[in-house]
Amino acid sequence: MSHFQQIQLSDLAPGQEATVLQVKAQGPIRRRLLEMGFIERENRISRSIRVVLAPLGDPMELVIKGYHLSLRREEGACILVSRLEPTRV
Amino acid sequence: MVTIALAGNPNSGKTTLFNGLTGSRQHVGNWAGVTVERRSGFVELEDETFEVVDLPGTYSLSAQSEDERIASGFLAGGDVDLIINVLDASNLERNLYLTTQLLELHRPIVFVLNMMDDAERQGVSIDLEGLQVLLGGPVIPTVGNREEGLDALKTALIGVSRGLDPRIRAIPVHYGDDIENELSKLEREILRDERLAGSHVPRWLALQLIERSPEAMALLLESHAQSAIASQLKATLAFLEAHLGADGGTLLAEHRYGFAHGLVTEVLQRGHSTQRSHTDRIDALLTHRWLGIPIFLAILIAVYSLTFLVGKYPQDWIGAGFGWLQRQAGTLLPPGELTSLLADGIIPGVGAVVVFVPIIMLLMGCIAFLEDTGYMARAAFIMDRLMHLMGLHGKSFIPLIMGTGCNVPGVQATRTIEAKEDRFITILVSPLVSCSARLQVYILIAGTFFKPVPAAFAIIGMHFLGFALAMIMGKLLRLTLFRGADTPFVMELPPYRMPVLKATLIHMWEKGSVFLSRAGTVILAGATLVWFLSHYPGITRRDWTTEHLSSRATVTAMALPSAEQALRLAELDLAYESRIMNTSFAARFGRLLQPVLAPILDPDHTRAEAWKDGVALTAGFVAKEIVVGTLAVVHQASAEPADPKARISPLQDALRRRSGLTPLTALAFMVFTLIYTPCLGTIGMILKETRSLPWTLFTVLYGLGLAWLLAWGTVALGRLAGFA
Repeated sequence: MSHFQQIQLSDLAPGQEATVLQVKAQGPIRRRLLEMGFIERENRISRSIRVVLAPLGDPMELVIKGYHLSLRREEGACILVSRLEPTRV
Repeated sequence: MVTIALAGNPNSGKTTLFNGLTGSRQHVGNWAGVTVERRSGFVELEDETFEVVDLPGTYSLSAQSEDERIASGFLAGGDVDLIINVLDASNLERNLYLTTQLLELHRPIVFVLNMMDDAERQGVSIDLEGLQVLLGGPVIPTVGNREEGLDALKTALIGVSRGLDPRIRAIPVHYGDDIENELSKLEREILRDERLAGSHVPRWLALQLIERSPEAMALLLESHAQSAIASQLKATLAFLEAHLGADGGTLLAEHRYGFAHGLVTEVLQRGHSTQRSHTDRIDALLTHRWLGIPIFLAILIAVYSLTFLVGKYPQDWIGAGFGWLQRQAGTLLPPGELTSLLADGIIPGVGAVVVFVPIIMLLMGCIAFLEDTGYMARAAFIMDRLMHLMGLHGKSFIPLIMGTGCNVPGVQATRTIEAKEDRFITILVSPLVSCSARLQVYILIAGTFFKPVPAAFAIIGMHFLGFALAMIMGKLLRLTLFRGADTPFVMELPPYRMPVLKATLIHMWEKGSVFLSRAGTVILAGATLVWFLSHYPGITRRDWTTEHLSSRATVTAMALPSAEQALRLAELDLAYESRIMNTSFAARFGRLLQPVLAPILDPDHTRAEAWKDGVALTAGFVAKEIVVGTLAVVHQASAEPADPKARISPLQDALRRRSGLTPLTALAFMVFTLIYTPCLGTIGMILKETRSLPWTLFTVLYGLGLAWLLAWGTVALGRLAGFA
């Protein structure tokens, strides 16, 4: 059901769900992302549909392992995901 | 005595449980990592004393952040007999990640499953019996902010501490054969050093080494088996990388989440909760694309008004009370050094400290309330884009805005910023934000040297300049002294919860009293020092005192109408004060400063009274509004208009006619006042919040340097543009 297309987490559109493929970040950010649940190949995350995009547009809010998390887009860009079927909004 | 470590994720309700258990005064927050300090309390259970240590809320024990180092260091040390692991039932899987690390410590653990009500509302049901078996310890369900389940917890604590609880079992997290194999090799090398193996669980240490935790690496350096362990570690890491295709930290994290996931699958049933949670519904409004910022600003205005407008009343009462005390001391006691120490040194000094308490309590109360609801995380979320551009964090916004009222609580409000680097940068730039005390100086100076409209522009301009400088300095600090320390903004947005009023009140009381005891002493000492410098040696001149008293007696004997008599007496008092001030150490210091200040305040070296600026600015070190009072004394002209209808006060008249300041140098004076050194109260607070004398001195010194530079720039540019 997933078309195995790698995109950056930050490019995910509001309301879409995705699976984590790879965390490219290194060092402390990588560690922190792993601890917060960005485990490769395991997870289903969904970017929340309630993201504050404007006027500031950054950071982004998403739901992972059932809780809400916010990330800066530059951090989201370090995470490669594959899109799942869009969920009903 | 039994030592209990209370461990858990941020926002898991750990601190509420701590309050419930020990009855101690401890803040409950919704921000990740409020409890930076280790706090403990005692509880007596069946003749046994338990010491409960509330660890900072952390997501893991990887010892990366300050909080994690504190928690991990305490847990791995030998003092802990028992661990309470608080788990948020509504967010179990992520909470169990920390648990996998706690299980490695080989200590009995009592699990508290908190927020059961939230979980039930989400349609989640948890098999408690199953969880007890899988985790190897009693699992006690509790409910959020109510004190439910506390008795069951206490019973479990007694049983476990006596070794009588049958549910306690060692549960190993299995990392897969390859990793387990490498772990046992590492353990074998660690066991060579008996002291190391005696003070730390070898498996725990081996895991920490694979994760390359800085703490474990430091322990390694102290070990006599250092080379054996290090070479095994190198081989292990190389093996894992080659065979499993990832670094050690990643592999461990994957297995830990694997364990957590397996456990959750086993014990947790997710019902069909079609209804959106109340948090989602509130967020739909509060972080709305268009409404989010207006709502945030409205909340900010409300907090600001509550703090500084409502707080002004108790401040005025305190000010009036200390003023009365000061007058009583001045009139009832015979004039002399001791009276002056009391009336002009200690009473106003204590007053200068106490006057901050109402606004500190109000602001910290508002912030604690917002934290407890979960809104502070949203505020940071909304403002982060803007603040990040300036090298700051989303959470820096509120402290800086509050600084426009008063820098002292502004600096204290940086407490909410988790990462040390972000917090330090915010603290270091916050004195640049123009506060209401500086406004009084601007009003005096601008009102003297500018026409009303340019004066208003100059005053508003100072506020903009302050903010702009804070932003630029923030960026500069980020690029230089705090380089490479850009902390990730991976921040949980916790569910909205109803705050407990009692916790907020406890927090307010705590902040107020801590301010008095810690920052208060610094402020009082500084105020007394400045009193000494500005009164000695003149205050010891008996002949001056006698002369002053006899002139007063002469005026009193003239039997003038009471209004005129009061005026004449006030003039005499001011003359006496001026005489002391203008011969004081502070005045000598002001004269010493003259060459330094000359390029900005006296560029043509034509001002005979230029040294008086130095005296006023020196005294303004205590509090910026004192610049006004000191100018009045050094120029021997009252800052209050004698005639209420007069447009300008005698001081303004004196400044205009005698001081020799021009509109341009007056503007430079305002710029200098804005930037030069934080006031004593702010310095006391910075020292308290950074706990670092070097950084506190740095703030003072860069302020002085920057102030001089910008004031000089003002004069230079102004002259280029043709102003005098």
